[in-house]
Amino acid sequence: MTKPIAVNAGRRAFLKGAAAAALAGPLIVTDRSIAQTRTIYVNTWGGSWTAAEEAAFFKPFTDATGIRVRTVAPVSYAKLKAQVQSGTYEWDITAITQADLLRADREGLLDPVDWSVVKKDKLFPNAVYANGLAYCALGTNLAYRKDKFPQGGPKSWADFWDVKRFPGNRSMLNNAVRSLQFALVADGVPPDKVFPMDVDRAFKKLDQIKPHIKVWWTQGNQSQQLLRDGEVDMMVMWNARASELAQQGHPVELVWHGATITTTMWGVAKNAPNRKLAWEFLQFAVQPKPQADFANRLYYGPTNPEAFKHISGEVARQLPTYTENAKVAIKPDTVWEADHTARIQERFTQWLAG
Amino acid sequence: MARGLRRNTAAWLLLGPSSLALVLLFVLPIGYVLLLSVTDPRLGLAHYQRIFTVPLYTRVLVNTFLTSLVVTACCLVLGYPVAYVMARRGGWISTMLLTIVAMSFWTGFLVRTYAWLVILGSKGPVVAGYQALGLGQAPRLLFTTFSSTLGMTHILLPYMILALFAIMKKIDPDHLKAAASLGARPGAAFREVFLPLSLPGVVNGSLLVFVTCLGFFVTPVLLGTPRDMMISQLINQQIDELLAWGFASAVSVVLLAATALVVTVYNRFAGLDRLWG
Repeated sequence: MTKPIAVNAGRRAFLKGAAAAALAGPLIVTDRSIAQTRTIYVNTWGGSWTAAEEAAFFKPFTDATGIRVRTVAPVSYAKLKAQVQSGTYEWDITAITQADLLRADREGLLDPVDWSVVKKDKLFPNAVYANGLAYCALGTNLAYRKDKFPQGGPKSWADFWDVKRFPGNRSMLNNAVRSLQFALVADGVPPDKVFPMDVDRAFKKLDQIKPHIKVWWTQGNQSQQLLRDGEVDMMVMWNARASELAQQGHPVELVWHGATITTTMWGVAKNAPNRKLAWEFLQFAVQPKPQADFANRLYYGPTNPEAFKHISGEVARQLPTYTENAKVAIKPDTVWEADHTARIQERFTQWLAG
Repeated sequence: MARGLRRNTAAWLLLGPSSLALVLLFVLPIGYVLLLSVTDPRLGLAHYQRIFTVPLYTRVLVNTFLTSLVVTACCLVLGYPVAYVMARRGGWISTMLLTIVAMSFWTGFLVRTYAWLVILGSKGPVVAGYQALGLGQAPRLLFTTFSSTLGMTHILLPYMILALFAIMKKIDPDHLKAAASLGARPGAAFREVFLPLSLPGVVNGSLLVFVTCLGFFVTPVLLGTPRDMMISQLINQQIDELLAWGFASAVSVVLLAATALVVTVYNRFAGLDRLWG
């Protein structure tokens, strides 16, 4: 006897709920659709990079505006092209290297800066390049294990090439343009005169070091594993990856002379569905405070000079955009790189496989 | 007539969904790749000309096939005895081996690749064992063609073992007893009876491993040298770094054609319908 009552009660409650839902229905749907339009999707590198972005950019932005940020990893230029060509978007914003941004802009894959959203007086000099906003600066440096060189480690690319004075296992980044740059500096070209590159001279210099390169690495994690486990004694490494090892207590030292400082950019995919909100976010992300928050977490340099006001001197000295570091680094020529990468990459790959 | 028609309709209905899926997910994309290879960025066969004139591409293509051949041979040599024991011995030995092979099969290949970085690394057990035995400086193991081949063999070995096992399990043990009763020693019985009967497994496993190996690239990148580069790595570079989709498509088409050639030869001599036993 109790059972049917229970069922009835249950059904009545259900009917009531359904009626309430039907009445509230339109309201709920509207609410949800607003929330959906107020979400932006960002293509980024994942891992510790995204974790730092979450804390420095995404969460503060959501707190300030209510616009939610979702991430998709890893960064893929191929996907940027596919999205724009097909008109199907997985994300609105991408983090992208400056050379790739330039290529993407030339191919018409980027949304032009929306000056109705972005305010010029809120930007720093050189913040805008090829329809992107400058995000942060990344150093590609010579890094070495101090414990392997008690008499003092290599101080330049010439030392890296000097296998007699500095014996030990070496590793380089499997990237044509970077490798050629370092070879030229090792051969005596001043860091600010590397571009336009003498490619033949660089390959000749690379021939000398090739037999001594144990690994040509491709992934950031892989580079850390090599130096952490002592597989190699000195190597080409991204500055924040090396600083991270030093913070974990590994005896790792960075050399700034002849390092390459490249700018990472933000770009918005052409005709992306949330592009207005995207530009709102980007304007927020290049402000001094978020930029400093990011640099304090990952040691990539802020592009906004004002950000250094929020960064301690101890941290600032380890950043690529710190004046003393930038002064001795290679001055990149993005246009030259974008024009020559494909040809050089083929020759480099062939050289590596030979 | 009507019945035949109805049977035909039923057959088409049954075939329909899978054929549609194959056309949508396989035939069309590959057709698009083929089209891209001769139209992007402009109409012509320039990409194909480049593949066969720039030494890098033919060289890497040849290396890809040679590497796959070596890995297939290694898998066969290592896998045959394991599959043999699994098939011939019942009970817990077979179960244990099958479990080990399956666990290896289900572990991500990236995890297994990184495991070799640790095992063969300068602080790994191999080098430590070498030094503990007083053999002096261990030879360089990591970042060589050896470590790259070892890694790929490890990853593909379960495919070979399972393909062999599937065939060997079906060989009637009475055949071997009959051979013995006719006076064959165990060696002769294996050579004259078991081995020929297991050949379909050998061919299946080899084809499976060989074709899968053709598409590998992460393992040789992480464990090997730039000389061990596989063709997929070049395709990936063209797509993701250089955005040269037309050229990447052309390289893919060449790889596909070469693979199709291998499968055709296989079909000619072994028959594709026997692939799954």
